[in-house]
Amino acid sequence: MVNGYHPKDLIEALKIRAEVSCIPLAGGTDLMVQNARGTGLSPNFDKPLLFVGHLPELRHIEKKEGFLHIGPSVLLSEMLSHPFIPETFKKAISQMASPPTRNLATLGGNICNASPAGDTLPFLYAMDAELILENHAFDRRIPIEEFICGPKQTELKSDELLTDILIPTTLFPVSYYKKVGQRRGMSLTKVSFHGLAEIVDGYVEDLRMAFGSVAPTVVRSRDCENSLIGEPVSTLKSRFNEIWELYEPSIQPIDDARSTATYRKNVCYNILKDFLTHLENIKEIYNE
Amino acid sequence: MKMSISKSINRTDAKGKIWGETPYLGDIAFDNPLYVKTVRSNQSHARISAIHIPTLPEGYWVIDKSHIPGKNYMKTVVSDHPILAEDEVLYIGQPILLVAGPDREKVYGLSKEIRIDYEPLPAVYTLEESEKQGMVFTDYTLSKGNPVEAFSQAEKILQDEYSTGLQEHVYLEPQGMAAEFKEDTVFVYGSMQCPFYVEEALTEALNMPADKIRVIQTTTGGAFGGKEEFPSLIACHVAIATCVTGHPVILIYDRDEDILSTTKRHPSLVRYKVGLDKNNTLTVLDIDILYNAGAYAGISPVVLQRGIFSSTNVYNFQHIRVRGRNFRTHTVPSGAFRGFGAPQSIFAMEMLMHNIAISLGLEPIDFKMKHCLKQGDTSCTGGKIHDKIILPELLERALTLSEYRKKIQTHKPFTGIGLSLFLHGCGFTGNGEQTIRGKIILQKKGKDVLIKVSSVEMGQGADTILRKIVAHTLELPIHHVQCEVRDTGLIPDSGPTVASRTVMIVGGLLQKAAEEMKSRWDTEENLEISKVYHHPDFLVWDNDTFTGNAYPTYSWGVNVAEVAIDPISYAIQVKKITAVYDVGRAIDERTLRGQMEGGIVQGMGWATIEVMHADEGTLVQRTLTDYKIPTSTDIPDIVCDFIENPYEFGPFGAKCAGELPFTGPAPAIAAAVSNALGIPIKELPITPEKLLEMKNDED
Amino acid sequence: MKIECTLNGQRKTLDVSSTRRLLDILREDFHLTAVKEGCGEGECGACMVLMDGKAVNACLIPAGNLMGKEIVTPEGFKESPRGKIIEEALIEAGAVQCGFCTPGFVMAIESLLNEHPHPTEENIREGLSGNLCRCTGYQMIFKSVRLAEEKGAGLW
Repeated sequence: MVNGYHPKDLIEALKIRAEVSCIPLAGGTDLMVQNARGTGLSPNFDKPLLFVGHLPELRHIEKKEGFLHIGPSVLLSEMLSHPFIPETFKKAISQMASPPTRNLATLGGNICNASPAGDTLPFLYAMDAELILENHAFDRRIPIEEFICGPKQTELKSDELLTDILIPTTLFPVSYYKKVGQRRGMSLTKVSFHGLAEIVDGYVEDLRMAFGSVAPTVVRSRDCENSLIGEPVSTLKSRFNEIWELYEPSIQPIDDARSTATYRKNVCYNILKDFLTHLENIKEIYNE
Repeated sequence: MKMSISKSINRTDAKGKIWGETPYLGDIAFDNPLYVKTVRSNQSHARISAIHIPTLPEGYWVIDKSHIPGKNYMKTVVSDHPILAEDEVLYIGQPILLVAGPDREKVYGLSKEIRIDYEPLPAVYTLEESEKQGMVFTDYTLSKGNPVEAFSQAEKILQDEYSTGLQEHVYLEPQGMAAEFKEDTVFVYGSMQCPFYVEEALTEALNMPADKIRVIQTTTGGAFGGKEEFPSLIACHVAIATCVTGHPVILIYDRDEDILSTTKRHPSLVRYKVGLDKNNTLTVLDIDILYNAGAYAGISPVVLQRGIFSSTNVYNFQHIRVRGRNFRTHTVPSGAFRGFGAPQSIFAMEMLMHNIAISLGLEPIDFKMKHCLKQGDTSCTGGKIHDKIILPELLERALTLSEYRKKIQTHKPFTGIGLSLFLHGCGFTGNGEQTIRGKIILQKKGKDVLIKVSSVEMGQGADTILRKIVAHTLELPIHHVQCEVRDTGLIPDSGPTVASRTVMIVGGLLQKAAEEMKSRWDTEENLEISKVYHHPDFLVWDNDTFTGNAYPTYSWGVNVAEVAIDPISYAIQVKKITAVYDVGRAIDERTLRGQMEGGIVQGMGWATIEVMHADEGTLVQRTLTDYKIPTSTDIPDIVCDFIENPYEFGPFGAKCAGELPFTGPAPAIAAAVSNALGIPIKELPITPEKLLEMKNDED
Repeated sequence: MKIECTLNGQRKTLDVSSTRRLLDILREDFHLTAVKEGCGEGECGACMVLMDGKAVNACLIPAGNLMGKEIVTPEGFKESPRGKIIEEALIEAGAVQCGFCTPGFVMAIESLLNEHPHPTEENIREGLSGNLCRCTGYQMIFKSVRLAEEKGAGLW
C-alpha cells in the first residue's frame, strides 16, 4: 500500500487530493507525535500522507494589496527572522515549542491542527486573518474563525489544501501578548492572550482581544470589543467588572493535565484587567 | 608537593559520551534478538477473570506467571511485587504478560490484540482514604525524652500539616534490559544502579544459583534512585523470556511506558503537634509521617526509615515522638528517589519552623538557629553527633553571598527570598553498612591497577572519582588505573550505588587498599588486595528500638532562594539559588559542583513545575509534554560554595554529597514564595493554580 | 518511497516507508547510535541532528520530509574543527554526566553558535531550551558554550 505521496508541485498535490483520501503533512511536529507508537515503529496513520512541506507555492512571505500573505509551509523559525512578520506575532511565535521544533513546524500546520492551545491562533483571530483553500478546480476564501470549528476540527474538505494565509497589514500601535505555560521553556499553553489596540486622543479607536486555550476554539468577543470602541480609555479601569461580565460567558476552559478550569478563568480575568486598565499607559504595554 | 585531591580533572568518560560512541543498552547489537513488550493492567484494582490470547504465529510467545521457574516476586526489601501478575492486579500499568518475537511490528500488534477480562475490586487512591481504611504497610514509632510530660508543661501547643506530591525521575535514558543464554549461564544486561540486587532477584525468579547468572551493567543514562530496585523487575522479565524462548531478548521502555509503570517519589503527608515554652522554644514535637507507597511495599520501609530519622532535620529537640507509616494505595508503586524519603520530612520540618517563626513575629533564621544541633548533641534517635558541626559558618557564608539580610528588608512586592537548612545522613541507614559489609578488590598488574567494585557509573562521575582516589593515593597517572566492567561474574559486591555511599564508603575502602598497595608497590609485580567495610567502633545502633547512630555522619547545607512571581499568572520564577555545603572534602570540585547544581535543579523542579497526580489511579501526566522538568530557560543562577570540614573516616575527609543538594531548594523556595506573597506554604509542588486560589481566598 | 538525501556528506537513496521516523532510519538502518531516543515526542532533544544546518529532532521527521535534505548526525560532525572545539569545551566545563543527552547538546550548541557566534546569556538559554538534561542543572553546559565561543573564535 502506498503510505505517502511526495508531489513535485501544488498542481500535483491538488490532483492527489482530488483522487485519494490522504492526510496533508507539512512539518509533522503535531502529527508525528499524535500517531507515534514507540521505538522502531513508524507512526500509524489511517490514510496515506501527502507531503506538502516542500511545495514552493506554499513557502512565500509577501505583501500584496493590504495583506501580508504567508504560505502555510513557511517554518515558524523562518517567520521569526523575516522582516515582514509583525513583532507582536514574533513574540508569540518565539514562545512556541523549542528552537528545534520551530525549525520543522509550520504556520499552516498550527492552523490546521486546530488545537485550542495553538499559539499562532489568537493573533490570527485578532487580526481577522483569512485563509485560501484550494482544490484542483476552485479556491475559496474563509475567515479563520469560520475555518476552525472545534478542537482538531476544520472546514478543510478532503480535496482541499490550505494554500495561503492572509493577514491585514493594519498596524496596531498597542500590542500585548501573554502566554502562560507550565514552565518558561518549551511548554504547551495553559492560557494565552493577544490584545491589539489603537488609541486616538484618549479614545479607543480599535480594539482586538483574543484568548487561546480557554475554550474549544480561540475566544474573541466582538460584542465586548465593539462596546468599548469609541469609549474614553480613562473609564475602562472603573468599568472593568462590567466588561468582564460581558466577556466571561465565552471563556469556558477545562481541567486537563496542564492546569485547571478555575485557574484558567482567573488568569483570563487578570490578563484582561492588566491589558485594559493599562491601555492608558500605552508605552508600558507596548514594551511588554 | 602533591596536588590537592579537590583539584578538578577531566572526566574519563566524557569523550565517548559526547560523540555517542559509548554504547547504552539500546545501542548494543544482539544476535537475532526477540523484542519483548509488556502487557499491563488497565485497572487500578481488579481480579483477572480471563485472558484471551490470539493465535500466535510461529516464533512468537506470550509469557505469563506460569512460565516463572522460581518464585513469582521481585526480591527487594519487601518482596511483594509479582514479576507477572497472579490473579489480581493492584495498579494501572502492572505487568501481566510478556509478548516476545522477532518483529517489533508483530509483537506490538499481538500485545494490542490480547484481551483481558477483569472483575473490578474496590480501590483506594489517596493517603487519607488509605489511612481511614487502615491499609498500612509499615508502622514505626520512635521516641526520645518524655513527650507526654513535656506536652503537659508546654506553654503553647500548635498543630500543623504539610504535604508533597509525586515526582518522576526522568533519567534521560529510559529503563531497559536484555538477556541471553550462553552455555548454561543467563547473561542479563541493562541500565542499573545495583548489579547484585538484580542478581539476587534473578536467583529467586529463575531458581538458579548465582554462579549461573551474570548481571552486566551497561552505560547508565541517569538513575536518581529510579534504577535502584525497579530494574530487578524487568531483569526478571527478560531473563524469563530468554529462558522460555531460547533467544536473546531485548526490552526497552518507551518514555510513556516508563512514566506509566516505573516507581516515583513517595507522596507524603506530615502532621505536627508541637509544644513551646514561654521563651518560644520548641520543647516537644509529635510528628506523624505518612508516605504513599503505592500498590506494593517494595523498598518503602527503608525509605520511610530515612524519612523518620531525618524528620527533625538539623534541630535538637529534647522530647520527640515520631510515628511513620507507609500506606497502600492502588497506584503505581513509589520507590527510591534521590534523598530517599528525607526531602519530604525535611521540607515539612523546615516549613514548620519557618511558619512558626513568622506567626510569632520572629526572623526565621534566629528561630531556627536557636534550635540547631551542636557537636555532642544527640539526634532524634539519640545518637551522639561526634563530628564538628559547622552549620553556623555555612549559614553566615550563605547570608553573605546572597546578601540575604539586605534583600529581606528591601524586597519588592511579588519578589521574595527564603532560606533553608538541611542535612543528609551519609551512607546506609541504621546498621545497613554493617549488614552488607561492602567488599572491594584492588589488583596490580605491573604498572597498571584495576578497581573491582559493584558501585556503578550512572552519570554522577563514580568511575572518574574512584580512579582518582586510587591514582592519587598511588601517585600514578589516572590512565594506569581502570575500573572493571560491572559484571557480577568479575566483581565483588561493594554494595549498591545508593545512599550517597559510593565515595565515602567504597572510596574509603579503595583508599585503604591503595595505601596498602603503595607500601608493597616496589616489591610485588602482581598484587591483589581486598577490603571489607567495618563500621567505626563508636557507632551504635539498635534496629528494634531505633536508637543510636542512624548514620555514621552527616553532610550539611544552607540554601537561599530568590523568586519572582508573575502577578498575573502567579508563575514562579526562581531567580537565584545560593548554596553552601559541608560535604567534608571535595574529591573533585567540578564533579562535586555538577552533583550540586543538578540536585538543586531537580529539587527546584519537585518544588515547582513538576506536577504529577493520579486521577482514580490513572496518571494524568503521562508524557514529557505534560510532565515538565526544568529546561535551560527555567533554571536560576546558581552560586555554589563549600566549606571544608574533613571527616576522619572518609577518603581524604569526604562525606556524602549526591543526595544532599536535592533537599535544600524546596523549603528555601517555599519560604521565598511565602515571603513574596505573604501566605504560608505547606504543600509541594507550589503551583500557580494553588497560589492564585490562596490569594483569591484571601481577598 | 525512494528518497534521495545527503547523510553526513554522502549522497544516499533511501528505500523506506514514508512514515518511518528519521530517528529509526539513523539508528537501525545506518547504526548511527549517537542519535538517542529519550522521549519520541520532540521534548528531550536527545535525537537532535542538523537538517540543512539547523537543529531538528529526528523523532519528529518522517522519511517523506527528507527528500533533498542534508542531514548531519554527531558522527558526521565529530571530526570537524567546530566539533573538536565543542568537544574540548564540554569536557573542560564538566558538562558531561550521564551522557545520554550530550550528543543532542552538541548539535544544539553547533546550531546556536551558528546563529549567534557571540551569544548573549538569553541566546544561550533559549538556544538550548529544546534539550533536556536531568544531571547537570545546565550551568556547566552554558559554560561550555562560552568556552567554545572563546576557543573557536572565528570558526562560527
